Amino acid sequence: MYFLYRWWGRYRVVVVLTLLCIALAWSIRRTEGAGIVELYRLMTLPVQPNTAKQEQLINARTWELQQRLQELEARNQALQSLLEDPQIQQDRAISAAVIGRSADHWWHQITLGRGSQDGIQVGAVVAAPGGLVGRVTQVSPHTSRVLLVSDPSSRLGVTISRSRRMGILRGQDERVGRIDFFEKDPDVREGDIVVTSTLSRLFPPGVPVGQIQELQLDAASGPQAVVEFSVPIANLEWVSIYLDGQTSEALVTSEP
Amino acid sequence: MVKPLKHWSPPSLNLLNYGITAGSVLLCALALPLRFPGLELAGISPHWLLIWVVTWSVKRSPLQGAIAGLCLGLIQDGLTAPQPTHTLSLALVGILTSGLNKQRFIQEDLISVALIVFVMAFVVEGVLMAQFALMGDRTLTELWERQPQVALSSALLSSLWTPVVYYPLNRWWQHVHKLLS
Repeated sequence: MYFLYRWWGRYRVVVVLTLLCIALAWSIRRTEGAGIVELYRLMTLPVQPNTAKQEQLINARTWELQQRLQELEARNQALQSLLEDPQIQQDRAISAAVIGRSADHWWHQITLGRGSQDGIQVGAVVAAPGGLVGRVTQVSPHTSRVLLVSDPSSRLGVTISRSRRMGILRGQDERVGRIDFFEKDPDVREGDIVVTSTLSRLFPPGVPVGQIQELQLDAASGPQAVVEFSVPIANLEWVSIYLDGQTSEALVTSEP
Repeated sequence: MVKPLKHWSPPSLNLLNYGITAGSVLLCALALPLRFPGLELAGISPHWLLIWVVTWSVKRSPLQGAIAGLCLGLIQDGLTAPQPTHTLSLALVGILTSGLNKQRFIQEDLISVALIVFVMAFVVEGVLMAQFALMGDRTLTELWERQPQVALSSALLSSLWTPVVYYPLNRWWQHVHKLLS
């Protein structure tokens, strides 16, 4: 007993401080670093990109519209409009500045300067001039964290715009992703446009994702294709967040 | 005017020490999502928390190193994603670094600390890669392709930026230690 008493008398400050540190760190993890990212946003306010830069992106927007038009024509031809699509509408969008990137070297994430105060919820779809960027995975009052399509853990149902063949896109690095096709011999060529699938419950259908760069039809695990993302993910500065049809958290954690 | 530090009472000096230590951790956490030209190599930035853990552990016991690694790992989990956890790799770095010091393999100057950071970056990224592999979310080939790029860029940049964290913190801790004893 005396030993314990002496030990406590000597080390109580250290023990209490240690426990305090662990508790603080644990609470930061529990709140998913909300306090830190909010402070980060405040501190980086002076260096965040300004609205004038958005003008430069209009050309890329034209390209996106062309691809969407092409996609809609293909859908009409296939009379897919007769089917009942699980439509996710995307009429209301707000733009947000990219204020930070992933806080480690393995995840592909970005931090945006808008959060739940602007109506953003977990699961909101994020796009940029050129096409799809990713989905919101965490929100704090003024920031939100987005899991990018380029992250290897992000799975996305996609369709080849020309031939309506479907597959699942997984991110690989910031430039390219990889599609696994459902069929043994899919009708796909280099240069084909890849859009989000009509069957996806998490993403609105027909949003351009990228372009087929390389085919690997005889890969061991079934036919694959390498897709080059249409959005320059490595140097994004502005994105749009679609507020309508935000999917609930329950959907996000389930299969895409 | 503020009194010179040597006239401060030990409790307030201690309090200031805790404040500065916690503040430096906060600054390192805030620097994580930043990507500035010159601060990144192939999209990868220095691992500021790793630098901090090494700086802390160089002159401390393995237990202290492990607890620092645990706390900073939890913070990084909060800032990225909790699965897989970053606590394991950073705690291991804390233990290994203080162990190195006990063996007196390495002297405590800037160059050797930068060298420790260089080696520890490989440890951190290696442990994380193993954790991702165990999770089964990503294929081994994908991880293996990304590993050299991540580990090397992280090691180079982190060790280059080590003095920015190590020099002021080490000077401060030495100063406080001298004043308190």
